[in-house]
Amino acid sequence: MLELTDVVAGYGSTTIVQGISLEVAQGECSVLVGPNGHGKTTLLRAISGLIRARSGRIVFDGSDITREKAEKLVERGLIHMPQGDLVFPDMTVEENLLLGAFPRAAAKRAKQRIDEVYQIFPRLLERRTQRARTLSGGERRMLAIGRGLMGDAKMIMIDEPSLGLAPVIVDEVYRQLRSIVESGMTVLLVEESVTRAQSLADSMHLVENGEIVRSSKGSELLDKQAIRATYLGVSE
Amino acid sequence: MNLVLQTLVSTLVQGSMLALITIGMSLVYGTLRVLNMAQGVMVMVGGVAAWTFVSGTGLSPWLGMIVAVIVAALLGMLSYGVGISRLIGRAGVDFEMTAFISTFAIASIVQNLVQLIYGPRQKDFPVLVPGRIQLTEGVSITWQQILTAAIAIAALSLLGLFLTRSRYGLAIVAVAQNLDAARLMGIPARRAYVLTMGLAAGLAGLAGVLLAPVYFVSPGMGDLPMLQALIVAIFAGLGSTRGTIIAAYIIGFVQAAVSIFWSSTYAMPVLYALIVVVLIVRPFGIAGKPQEARL
Repeated sequence: MLELTDVVAGYGSTTIVQGISLEVAQGECSVLVGPNGHGKTTLLRAISGLIRARSGRIVFDGSDITREKAEKLVERGLIHMPQGDLVFPDMTVEENLLLGAFPRAAAKRAKQRIDEVYQIFPRLLERRTQRARTLSGGERRMLAIGRGLMGDAKMIMIDEPSLGLAPVIVDEVYRQLRSIVESGMTVLLVEESVTRAQSLADSMHLVENGEIVRSSKGSELLDKQAIRATYLGVSE
Repeated sequence: MNLVLQTLVSTLVQGSMLALITIGMSLVYGTLRVLNMAQGVMVMVGGVAAWTFVSGTGLSPWLGMIVAVIVAALLGMLSYGVGISRLIGRAGVDFEMTAFISTFAIASIVQNLVQLIYGPRQKDFPVLVPGRIQLTEGVSITWQQILTAAIAIAALSLLGLFLTRSRYGLAIVAVAQNLDAARLMGIPARRAYVLTMGLAAGLAGLAGVLLAPVYFVSPGMGDLPMLQALIVAIFAGLGSTRGTIIAAYIIGFVQAAVSIFWSSTYAMPVLYALIVVVLIVRPFGIAGKPQEARL
């Protein structure tokens, strides 16, 4: 579904992603783990076209999207749910969700989609006429994810869904993510919390200094040693 | 009593007019983060376009109003394409400041072109509806004033509906509230920018036609409205549409009250003093929020 070859990206004169190659198969949940500031978010921004990749190739659903604009990628079905709460603060929950179905093709199915989203996130239904800025952090995160599901998503990229949330809320968000993953959606998840991510992942990749230093598949996933070495600087 | 009534009438007319001119600046600042110094010139372009149409064809000034809105809107979009779009996302360019200067250049070019073609002479423009009605003994209001307020309020209401109900209206608001999130929803930011610039200029053009019978049509007819719009925009807090409307009526009221109870000579100085106070006490205006640079 998504194939990266040697992608390099950064801001201004700083290169952050130092050549990452990665493949996410259809229906798979792939997780990028690793400490903050090592290029996971920048990689997602380069894939979704918010910034241009310096070099390398990005192929999505059979076509080269390396130079594609962010808004066009949404129409192709690649949805990026960014870090933090990038909701529209002065719009209601429902308006936020409807904007998630902005592309014309998606707009036609918006009515049906919104019911599906409310089914996954019943709290959003309770809050539908409230302004997004009045929601709690967890609800805003749910809104951001729900809004991403409003488009014709073939694949979603989620950036740190647990960031800054209380553990009990994270549990709830993860339960909802699991139901999305189990519905067969292709997912690329960026997460700092390894144990959380492990519960969802089909494959995991450890990102360090803008490179993937270790990958693993299936049940073995990443061994604790490698993770500890990266997070704590303890050598193996 | 009469003076109070007169002040209120004047506030309504002047406030609606100010809101009509300034709302475009707020929209443009909200979505593009550009302080658009060409807004006054678009007022003038509206007046000139309507005058050219009416004096050239002899048709109704109402049609002239439609022509004015279209001409100003097109010019607004053109000025985006020529003066602003190329600056977006350029490395090493302070977008807000450069675009601000760019709009100055646009204003200056357009104003001088108009002067070159039409000359500096003031031109008469017919009132849309003649006559006046007597409110009480000594206080009357012209139909032109009533019409000005009514059309301005109608245009603002339509704009409000557009921004909250329509696909592209919501897109503009989304871009204003969070650019990255909007792009990730598939909202074409550049199309929203063009549309915003067109809307802002179109509304200014409409204001130009409404002002034309009062101020006459001349290359400089947008200068005073520009100054007033700037005061309203700063008072409101740049980018806030609701704040702009409130601020427009407050400024309209202050201007009317000072003119009527004191002297019209002091109306502008008092407004300047008010702005200085606002800038000291609440530098981001009554409804604005401190904002970061973005493009």
